[in-house]
Amino acid sequence: MNRREFLAAGSAIAAASALPSFALADDKTITVFSSSDNNIIDFWNNTVIPAFTKANPGLKVKLASGGDENGVRAIADRALAALKSKTDPQVDAFENFDARLPAGAAEAGLWVSFSAENIPNYGRINPQAQNLKQELPYRGSQVLLAYDKTKLDPKDAPKTWEQLVAWIKKNPGQFIYNRPDKGGSGGNFVRRAIHEVNGRDPSKFTISNYSADFAEKSLMPAWAALKDLAPFLYEKGAYTSGNTQSIQLLSQGVVTMVPVWSDQVLQAISQGVLPETTGLVQLTDLALCGGFARMTVFSNGANKDAALKLGNFLLTTEMQSAIITQIGGFPGVSWDHISTDLREKYKDVVPNSIPTFPGGDWNSAINDGWYRNVATGLARG
Amino acid sequence: MIAGFSTTSGRFDWTGFIFAILLAIVIAVPLLVVFTWAFTEVWRYPSVIPQKFGLRFWDQTLSRADVWEALSISLRLSATVTFLSALICLPAAYAFARMKFPGRDLFFLSFLASHAFPKFGLLVAIASIFLQLNLIATFWGVVLIQLVGTLMLMIWIPVAAFQAVDRRMEEAARDVGAGPLRVFWSITLPQAFPTIFAAVLLTFVSTFYETEGAWLIGAPQIRTMPVLMINFINNQVVIQYGAVLSVILWVPSFIALMFARRVIGTGAFAKGFGA
Amino acid sequence: MGRGLKGLLLIAIPVFLVGWLIIYPIFAAILSTLFFDGPEGLRFSTASYQFFISDPYSRANLALTLWTTGMCAVLLLIVGLPIALYLRFSTNRFADLVQSLAIFPMFVPSIILSYALIRTIGPNGTVDILLNAVGLPKIKSPYLTPWGPVIGLVWDHLPLTVLMLTAGLGSISNSAIEAARDVGAGPLRVFWHIILPRMGNSILVTVSFTILGIFSAFTLPYVLGPASPEMMGPFMLRTFNALYDPLNAKTQAVISFAFCLFFGIFYVWSIARNQKGQSR
Repeated sequence: MNRREFLAAGSAIAAASALPSFALADDKTITVFSSSDNNIIDFWNNTVIPAFTKANPGLKVKLASGGDENGVRAIADRALAALKSKTDPQVDAFENFDARLPAGAAEAGLWVSFSAENIPNYGRINPQAQNLKQELPYRGSQVLLAYDKTKLDPKDAPKTWEQLVAWIKKNPGQFIYNRPDKGGSGGNFVRRAIHEVNGRDPSKFTISNYSADFAEKSLMPAWAALKDLAPFLYEKGAYTSGNTQSIQLLSQGVVTMVPVWSDQVLQAISQGVLPETTGLVQLTDLALCGGFARMTVFSNGANKDAALKLGNFLLTTEMQSAIITQIGGFPGVSWDHISTDLREKYKDVVPNSIPTFPGGDWNSAINDGWYRNVATGLARG
Repeated sequence: MIAGFSTTSGRFDWTGFIFAILLAIVIAVPLLVVFTWAFTEVWRYPSVIPQKFGLRFWDQTLSRADVWEALSISLRLSATVTFLSALICLPAAYAFARMKFPGRDLFFLSFLASHAFPKFGLLVAIASIFLQLNLIATFWGVVLIQLVGTLMLMIWIPVAAFQAVDRRMEEAARDVGAGPLRVFWSITLPQAFPTIFAAVLLTFVSTFYETEGAWLIGAPQIRTMPVLMINFINNQVVIQYGAVLSVILWVPSFIALMFARRVIGTGAFAKGFGA
Repeated sequence: MGRGLKGLLLIAIPVFLVGWLIIYPIFAAILSTLFFDGPEGLRFSTASYQFFISDPYSRANLALTLWTTGMCAVLLLIVGLPIALYLRFSTNRFADLVQSLAIFPMFVPSIILSYALIRTIGPNGTVDILLNAVGLPKIKSPYLTPWGPVIGLVWDHLPLTVLMLTAGLGSISNSAIEAARDVGAGPLRVFWHIILPRMGNSILVTVSFTILGIFSAFTLPYVLGPASPEMMGPFMLRTFNALYDPLNAKTQAVISFAFCLFFGIFYVWSIARNQKGQSR
């Protein structure tokens, strides 16, 4: 029986091959994982990291792309296990993550709680963007409607929710949005419907005023409105599985209009995925909700302090301006901390404010409610 | 060649022709679509051929150093895992097929667990085991997690192979005085070989394309080819990156397959002894 | 008994690995769905299972998963067996081609496959483009219907099925078939009385692998299938990630596991029965 030998040999080899990673830890390399698209990865590699290392000699940043959210969530699970066993999680921060995952991690103290003490620029953050104190919102983007100009004249493009609903019903099968939990473009379309049936007042919903009763009262009419829309959607109520799939259906000419993320659709047009004849329109009675990318920092990471420095650096005027000029994003800080010139120059691309919807318990209420009330009982042929 | 149902080698093989056509339609058309996409810059409905061909995405993919590094890591990983898996699983499979010992059925069933329980429920527990052994972000950590993933395939399939071996032939060999090892080497193994080879091939390929374990244990130091591909593919509006990487991997795959055919298909090995 | 000990030694390493890295975490996961830390110590509760059983939405998802798995298994056997039989009994270049084609899906990762299928049989995909070019009406696309995942999963699992069935057929000796043909048995009778009984194990192994692979499949059902009802794979991950509900997600995992275990036990039982038959 060589079970013990096998184990011993295994750990000896493991110890030997773990050496290079110890060596890496010595140069203070901040390991950041990201689940964002290529344009964001490029933005970090070409802009954020060079500027940060210049401002902080001796610190390095290693950005690893985790593919999708499941990928980075697995790393969060790994870090949670490391927290319990007090070992090195080999990760310091996430570029964009929901600090409510993995369930129970925030309570266990996996994430650093941000405040003005560890992030001097914390006070600059746009109050609308704030959700959990374990999340550092540093860039935002808006959701727009993208449409095919060859099938819909730009002057007839819907400008209000009512016009949009009327257009969808008049053109059955020409609109599709993705499942709300599988991508923000569909998710924020659904949230816009919730705003609509609740008097178009985003301030009605806050992270702390969630209650099962209030959710029931405010969400049920929205589910009714969306269900009413279902027979006029593509395939009488089909929903794509993500932002990308919606864009693909638009590019294949299957549908005429889909909700999209602004940065993603601009990238798709520049890469030739969508034709030049793609039109973009925002609702003017109340814009579709936007969303913020939220950095999280591990409390048990080997380079926690350096990662906090990086977080603070992201909120500087320099980086926030770069977010506007380079990726057409929405700043995570209030506009007071951005130069007025810049604000003037980009006012056509970047709106002054974008409505938001609180996360927290609302997320699960919306995700679950939509599947149970809107997506079910479809007529399938 | 001994003819079964099919035509003898003299006549035109209509059955094969029909199979080939049907499979070509069903299998090759989606592959052809991927292939075409790899060389395409713009392709929109209703054009039959892409509006704009180009190699832009090939340049962007091949110029990345990490692609080649990932390919080399992946190949080394898959070879190591397949070798270790065969080393520990084939004797076990033989034991399961031929020997009686307490708890045999239960142990045999336990391998099913590695495929039947969704990974997300086990992540935390597996990660903490690896953390304690300092295996996170190491080559051998990834080997270990992938090795566990191959066990079921490498045991269940060879067990079926060993059981299908004609016992009477082994007995006959033993009757004429062959020792147990000799019987195994010259009767049992050759008959079971095509199936075992199929299992080895499946193991190699499925290890190569395994992402979850490689990512969970290997990140950020060990980046395998599929982990890299997932980064290229997921949530990308541009599908060409994925198409390019797939096509790069197809060329060696296809060559390997043509060779595999000689071993698995007609089972020249098996027939030498069986007929 | 010496032989028993030898057997145990031969299986020791794989059994240890699976017990350490799989079985133990599974037990931990199962226990975490049944026992909870309460104010007065550990508390036992089956509430999450009762919720699953009483929830029509969860049951519909389970039913869809069973339907998809069954449909795929049947289709795979219908498609795979003739191919395997053909490959077993012929050696010309068509056979080379057929085998290479049938095995090739193995080298296409699911995520690429799903894009390929969307582009091929999806709305305005290649098939539509070709039909449109010759003036025929478009197909009714299976994309985002329950047939989408079925087509994708059958495509994805075809290599495994063909490889394993062909390998199983390889161990049937020609002499047995020749003998049957000599006494005047037709192809169907040879298949039914000689081939089928001898490849029982291969078919069982194939079907068990297929079922396991399909039951908790994620990528293909998620990308190609409808939003609701959804298969167990996407359902579990959605409960885990989007609803922040690990308890119900793990309960769904345990229930899927129980179904897979049932197929597994059936398989082991038939193998055991088979062995008794062989040793007589």
